[in-house]
Order: sequence, then structure tokens, then C-alpha cells
Amino acid sequence: MNIGLEAIEYVLPESRRNLEELEVAGALETSAHRLREFGFEYAFTSKEDAFDLASKATAALLKNHDIEPEKIDALFFAGAIASSHSVNQSLEFLSAFNYPACRLQYDFGLLNAIVAGISQTGCMGMMTAVKCAADFLRGSDAENALCVSADVFPSRAKREVIYNVISDGGCALWVRKNATRNFLRAHRQKTKGYYWDCVARRNEIVAAYFPTACAIVRETLADARIDMDQVARVIPHNVSRRSWEILLNLLGINRERLFDENISAIGHIIAADNFINLKDAAERGKISRGDKLLLFNFGFGANWGCMVLEH
Amino acid sequence: MILLVTGATGAFGQRLIRKLTPCDDIEKIYALGRQNRLDIISRKIEFIEADITEEITIPDEIRCNMTAILHAAAETRFSAPLEEVRRVNVDGLANILNLAFRCPRLDRFGCLSTIYIAGKRTGRVNENEFDHAAGFVNAYEQSKFEAERFLHEHAAHVPVAIYRLSTILGDSRTGEVAKTGAIHEAIRFFYHSLAPMIPGTAETPVDLISSDYAVAAIGRLFCNKFESGKTFHVCAGMDAMPLGEMLNAARECFLRNRPEWRKRAIEMPALVGLETYELFVRSVEEIGNTALQQSVRAIKYFAPQLAYPKTFDDRECASALAGSRVKRPALRDFFPRVVEYLINEKWRRLDTNFPPEPI
Repeated sequence: MNIGLEAIEYVLPESRRNLEELEVAGALETSAHRLREFGFEYAFTSKEDAFDLASKATAALLKNHDIEPEKIDALFFAGAIASSHSVNQSLEFLSAFNYPACRLQYDFGLLNAIVAGISQTGCMGMMTAVKCAADFLRGSDAENALCVSADVFPSRAKREVIYNVISDGGCALWVRKNATRNFLRAHRQKTKGYYWDCVARRNEIVAAYFPTACAIVRETLADARIDMDQVARVIPHNVSRRSWEILLNLLGINRERLFDENISAIGHIIAADNFINLKDAAERGKISRGDKLLLFNFGFGANWGCMVLEH
Repeated sequence: MILLVTGATGAFGQRLIRKLTPCDDIEKIYALGRQNRLDIISRKIEFIEADITEEITIPDEIRCNMTAILHAAAETRFSAPLEEVRRVNVDGLANILNLAFRCPRLDRFGCLSTIYIAGKRTGRVNENEFDHAAGFVNAYEQSKFEAERFLHEHAAHVPVAIYRLSTILGDSRTGEVAKTGAIHEAIRFFYHSLAPMIPGTAETPVDLISSDYAVAAIGRLFCNKFESGKTFHVCAGMDAMPLGEMLNAARECFLRNRPEWRKRAIEMPALVGLETYELFVRSVEEIGNTALQQSVRAIKYFAPQLAYPKTFDDRECASALAGSRVKRPALRDFFPRVVEYLINEKWRRLDTNFPPEPI
């Protein structure tokens, strides 16, 4: 059973600001100069809400890949921040139950899709959604699932989280049982609840990031029965280039195998980085059929995730 | 023996004096220090206030009768700038040596040094080896190297023996840590999930000794087995523990003494190359993250030593101690005891800025 990511689409807001603009607007905690050293340059900021971006990404996915809405068996919606999980919320208490996954199901006529939301794995959300989708397909007669993710930071929020520049964006994936590409060979997630308090445990989270990342990458590669040398390309989440440099050194992976173009060009799109980068790497000819790809991600909670795909 | 001990009021100096005081061969101990903080009272001991970074003047009746000097005073902060440590460790030694020249009855001069004058050398380091061009990991190592060189060049007419000490972990019987250093901080940061990486490999030997062995060995070598012109390694030697085994032992100790620690699911620190470690240290300095900076700074002047694996030969020392009651406790036996002590004491002797232990 070749479960894989058949297609990916994403949308970015129109507004792109460079580090100096963000600094002047008071949207950074660290200096623009330092963040540039860490590999960042731009952030995309949206005037639309998360649902609008999710909706646009879903529309693009269905249209560009001729997907029949009624053939979708499940929709997994991921968002890292709480506001991404409600639509048209008002002072009316019941509006808290206005779920975007349900509205997407209705808006796009996904009549046969069951829905679920993934909200508590932070930036790992989309990766968790893909894992849920794959497990769902593997354990049922279902053939197709959609994973959709979108986050938009509140307008007054800083555009930096622990030395990473944050962009808004939306992404939609088609996970298919008999896929023709991006076969899911292994996936692991580690959750360490000790770090649940992101504010109080901020230092420990930074310190725990690297050794836990090393452990999960090694375990996932072992699950996929490949070693570091067989990884053709590392598809990152767009945290600082500096942290990737350290992690790749720790793993013994050559820096040239990292697809890092989007770190400066886009920044960290919360939950969707890996999959946006996967699409761009493919379209820019940076990966070839049969390549083993390593996707690594981290989300508050704290959660570490790793995936091996065969392109 | 009428003995002058420098650095007498430091943690190690006090242990040394406590060990030497009962010796029948010793008639008198003059404990030299900047401030009288001696916690041992004996008719044999007399405190002399002096700063070794200045010219040392002591009453003629003491100077003329002095037969032995044991120089234990040192600036041991790894993070101190070179000029600062030189002032104590090299200039201070010169001042003590000047005093030694003016002691007509002096028949022995013992100087405490460190095995880490070997700096960035790798491989086997013998006791009779001194000079090298490998460089140093911190200013402390360099200053002690320069101090030994000063002795070689200027102490030809003084009977000198050098005792190169390893890192002192704690008391082998009780686990008590009188003075904490980088190694204890490193263990603390591992415990608190603030030690993401350490330079070295799982096989890198870590040479540590107990404080009781250190004072007993030096007491024996200096008082009973003094050999002018000799250098001794008071170290773990072949008993050194591989870094990987040591981290595992620390982890087991955390789990045994604080079962709740398991719930934190803290990974073992990654063992990395020096380049990666330095990149991480630089990044932490650049992001200005206070607690993480604190943890990194506490060990960054010491940890790179692990990237230069070496073993210290101590056959001269072992041979001189053979047949005596001085036995080196096995590091694997007392390491857990010291870690347990640190956990139970909640690293209280370390700085108080660190967050309190939650468990």
C-alpha cells in the first residue's frame, strides 16, 4: 500500500515585509541584523483570516489536481494557534464551535469526508495531520484524505518566536492510498509534556531541541531502514538557518543537502513549512524521483516530528 | 618539619592542612592566606596573612626555621582572563619562590599544578613530560603551564617536586563536594535539561579523583616520599571513565534518587565535534538567552578539553604510594555518591541565581 502525498498547494498573503520594516513596526524581539545572520529576510503578513487562506489553498488543490470533492474520505485541519480553529467567532458563546474544518467540508462539497482538527502539536500540526491521514487510510477502505493548515498571527503579535521569523500562510495536501509520489516510508513523533509551559520552560525547550531532534531523526531513519548517507535532501521547517547548521552537524549530514531557500524568502509558516518546501523543491528541480527525503519539524507542547518520504 | 602552606584557607588547602596536622613529622604549620577562614584549630597551626601577588614578608624567626613549603594557592577560575590568572599563578609563584630562596633550612618545595597543563595535547601524557605546543583550552591551563616553566627555569637551587592534580569531584566516602566547579555545573545542567551538547565522543576519557585521595596522596608524596626534581600525576589514570559511561551513570543516579525525573524525558546531551559545540555556544551568546547563556558559560571554558582526548600516566605516583595506606578510590564507585550528594544538596553551594529545583 503506497500511501503518499499526491499533491500540495499553498497560498501566501500579498503583503511581504523585510526585517527592517518589521523592526520599525516593533514586530521583532531580536535585532534585524541578528535575525539576518540567522538566515531570515522576509515575513508574509495577512490581512485575511486563517480560514480564508485555508480556503484558498484547498480550492487550488482541488482545482489544479482535478480532485472530485466527493471522493475525499477525510479532512484533517491543522492550526497551531487557537484562533485558527474557529470561523466568524463572535461574542455569542456558540460561535466558539464554528469549526473551519466543517465549513471547508461544506464550502467545497466534501460530502463524504469526516473531519477532525489538530490543534495541540504547535508547528507540528500539519505533520501530525499527515500521519493521522495515513493511519486513517491504512486502517480503512478509504482512498483519499485532505490535510489543510492555516495560521494567521494576530495583527499586534510579534513576528518572532524564539529567534524565528514567522509568516502567515495556508497549505493543503492530498494524501492518497495509491499515490504516485512522495510515499510515506516512516514517521515518528515524540511528545515531551515536561515542556508544556512554553513561557516557563523556554530555556529548557531551546536546550532540549537538539538532542531530541537527533534522537528522533535517527529513530525515523531506522524505521525507514535507511542511513544518513541515503538521505538525498532534507526538507526543513523554516527555523533559523543557524539552528539547521548545528542540527546537520550533529547528524553528520552535509549542509548542501538542506533545501533552505525558503528560510530567508518566506520565513517560518508555522505548521506548513515542510510541505511548502517539498512542493518548491520539486518544482525547482531540487529533488528527483526515488529520492529519500527527510522532513523534520518541532512544535510547542513540546513535540518533535520526523518523516521519511520517497519522492 | 616546619611547613608553610599557601592557599591554606581555600577549600582544598583546608583539607590538606587537616590531613597534615596530625602527622608526627610536622612540628608546625604556617597557614598563609589573605583572610583567616581556617576551620581547624590546633596548636600546630598558625595563620599568616599575606597576598601572594605581592612580595611576601614573614618574620625572620619563622623564615629562618622553615624547612618546607607546599604551594597550593592558585586562581582556578577557568573563565578568568589570562592576565588575572597569571598574576596569581605565575607572579604569585615567583613571590613564593623568592621567599623560598631566603629560607636557609628549606629542604623541600612542593608545588601543586594540574594535569591540564597538557592543554590540547591528545593521547598519553606522561609525568616526566612538560613542554608542548598544542595550545590550551583556557587561561588557567596556560598559566599553570607557565608556572611550571617558571619553576624549571628559576628553581634550580631549590628542591622542587610538582604535583599535578586532576579534577577533584568530591569525597569518595560521603560524596561531599567542598568546592564546586565546572564538572558539577555540567551535571546540574544535565539534570535541569539545560545541557544540549558536550564536545567529545562516548569514548573520551574523563579523569576525576576524590578529594580524600588528593589530599592523602599529596600528604604522602610531600611528607614521606619527597623526591626533588620529580613530577607526579595525582589523577585517575587508567581508572578514568569514558564520557558516555559517565553520562549514563549520572542519568541512572538522577533516576534512582529522583524517580520523578524520568517524567521529564530529558535526552542525553549530544556528543559533538568542537566546531559544532562552538557554533552552538556562539549562537547562545548571540541570542542573549540568560539562563541558557548561564549554563553555556559555566562549562564553555572547560568542556572543550573533552574534544582533546587524553589519558594521564601516573606510574611514578602509583610507585611512590605503593605500600602505603593511600589507595585511590575507584571513580565508578564514588561518582554516583557525589552525584547523589549534589542532588540532595540541590547544588546549594553553587550560585543562587539558578531556578530552584522543582522536584
